[in-house]
Amino acid sequence: MEGETYEITDRFQAETSIDLASQLRLIKESHTWDSLVSTGYGRHLSQKVLGGEAVTEIKAYATSAHHFYKDIATVIDLGGQDTKVLLINRQNGQLLKFEMNDKCSAGTGKFFEMMAARLGLGLNDLVAAAIKGSNSFEINSTCTVFAESEVISLLTTGISVEDIARAIHESLLKKLVSLLSKMMPTDSSSILFVGGGAKNGALVRFLAEALDKQVIVPEYPDFFGAYGAALLSKNFLNKNKEKK
Amino acid sequence: MSQLTPLFTDEFAEFPLKRALGQVIKKREAGSKVVGAYCSYAPVELVWAMGGVPAVLCAFSNAPIAKAEETLPANLCPLIKSSFGFIELKTCPFFELTDAVVGETTCDGKKKMFELIEKNRPLYVMDLPQCPTNEGAVEYWKHSVTGFKKFLESEFTTTITDSAIEESIQASNIKNSLVEEIFSFGAHQPSVITWQEMYEVATYAMVSSGAETIAKLKEIIASLTERREKGVFTSAENAKRVLITGCPIGGDVLKVLKLVDEEGATIVGLDSCTGLKPYAGRIEERSGDPLLAIAKRYLEIPCACMTPNTGRTDTLQKQVTLLKPDLVIDLVLQSCHTYNVEAVKIESYVRNDLGVNYLKVVTDFSAQDLGQLKTRIGAALEMF
Ligand code: SF4
Ligand code: SF4
Repeated sequence: MEGETYEITDRFQAETSIDLASQLRLIKESHTWDSLVSTGYGRHLSQKVLGGEAVTEIKAYATSAHHFYKDIATVIDLGGQDTKVLLINRQNGQLLKFEMNDKCSAGTGKFFEMMAARLGLGLNDLVAAAIKGSNSFEINSTCTVFAESEVISLLTTGISVEDIARAIHESLLKKLVSLLSKMMPTDSSSILFVGGGAKNGALVRFLAEALDKQVIVPEYPDFFGAYGAALLSKNFLNKNKEKK
Repeated sequence: MSQLTPLFTDEFAEFPLKRALGQVIKKREAGSKVVGAYCSYAPVELVWAMGGVPAVLCAFSNAPIAKAEETLPANLCPLIKSSFGFIELKTCPFFELTDAVVGETTCDGKKKMFELIEKNRPLYVMDLPQCPTNEGAVEYWKHSVTGFKKFLESEFTTTITDSAIEESIQASNIKNSLVEEIFSFGAHQPSVITWQEMYEVATYAMVSSGAETIAKLKEIIASLTERREKGVFTSAENAKRVLITGCPIGGDVLKVLKLVDEEGATIVGLDSCTGLKPYAGRIEERSGDPLLAIAKRYLEIPCACMTPNTGRTDTLQKQVTLLKPDLVIDLVLQSCHTYNVEAVKIESYVRNDLGVNYLKVVTDFSAQDLGQLKTRIGAALEMF
């Protein structure tokens, strides 16, 4: 590894499972590494099985964001379990502040999954429908469970699935915008959108419109945290060498 | 690290509430009346002056909440729900021991909850003025203090003399300054006192008084001094330092403090009502009007129920200067509007005026947010 050039040699995603430990053991058998950093909700288990270091996904995202996008100050991560917004010092990449949604699924990717299921659609169909739909009414419930029953009753009133799909997006969008509004420097013209939720093209478009800012999505938004961890592992590599 | 001598070596080691219960039972068996209190504003000097003993009724257990929610709304502060649930279930050992209960008009949830428990015990509710710096506030509050005294006298057919009150004021001042001295050991770097020990001391001192208590607190100071001199530390050399402020804590909400431990950081101060707050002030001695002196001191307690609550920032400033934390965690119980809204000001004060990193945590007594809390606390501690 030289200077600031790195190469990604392998990237893979395993199915979510309840037996993370044995999945990790498989990785241990099939891969080798000089330095390793785990991140995300399973970071402590991963560190236990694989060794190395552990950092929160918040630090990983901040590291990755500053490495790939030097002039980005605000990062939003929409994951399955929670939503986070990070504010980064553009000069030195330091994390200045972060916010997370309250412990509630209504502001997370889980919300889409549940609503799509309710409409009898796949996730991709829900996104496609939303783009065609018009922003004509609002879903009022802020709770996933209540929103679900609201959607069911909307279906019986004859409103098109497209418009409902749009309203579902708008409902989440409102939460993202309110979380973001506290954390956007006035002089920044763009924000970075990462995590699984950033793969939702409709949401990216609506978010850009709502904020009137450019919304940048990296090539592999759901690997962005892992890249950050990989970048951080370089520090530990040097540390290990110093020790030797 | 050489062996750590525990500060308490009785059979209640690590069970501060059981120790407190033991204290209350001992006094009750000796004939003392037990007066339950829900808040730091309860002027316990009056209880001590009549030879009684106070018992803290604030509960921090998730267990009775389901029972409470049969009656109370779910979106209410868990402290109120837990305390009420225990009463309904008749399983709060402290409440079961009480002969009377005193409440104060602090937050809305608590004061309306008092109306529901009135049937269980003789109850006196003290009307607390909420603009403590307004003209006449102290005099008004003195009426409540006097009313509480009269309530005790008629309930227990006794007389509380001025000289007995004066005596208990002086005893409180001695006790409180010793507790404050113990908490100030938090300033040492690396730490020589854990948050568990601070919490034990605060819980013990709440229900204890007299020569035995003074001796015990002095013994604790001696042990801490010895730790400091011999270099017996309770944290790693360069552990990140955390000050906890906000709502009262205990029981199941100690999960937040345990997460800080898990991240390898050290808690150097507990600023809330289950920490230093009730011990941080002194009552004027030999003032000639002990009830007024009590009223004055208690109205200075920096609770978020008050407006303006300038005492809170003043205290934080002193604590931060003394303890030098890297992070202030503002622990807000779910649906506690006063602390939650005040957090806006506290965040700006801690970050901008004190230059210290700040994290607000809103939580309840359940374990459902452990994963998210771990990430948030972990990330806040990584930020240096
Ligand atoms: S936080 Fe306020 S209301 Fe609660 S115990 Fe303390 S002083 Fe009383
Ligand atoms: S924590 Fe807040 S809401 Fe709960 S009893 Fe205390 S002041 Fe009231």
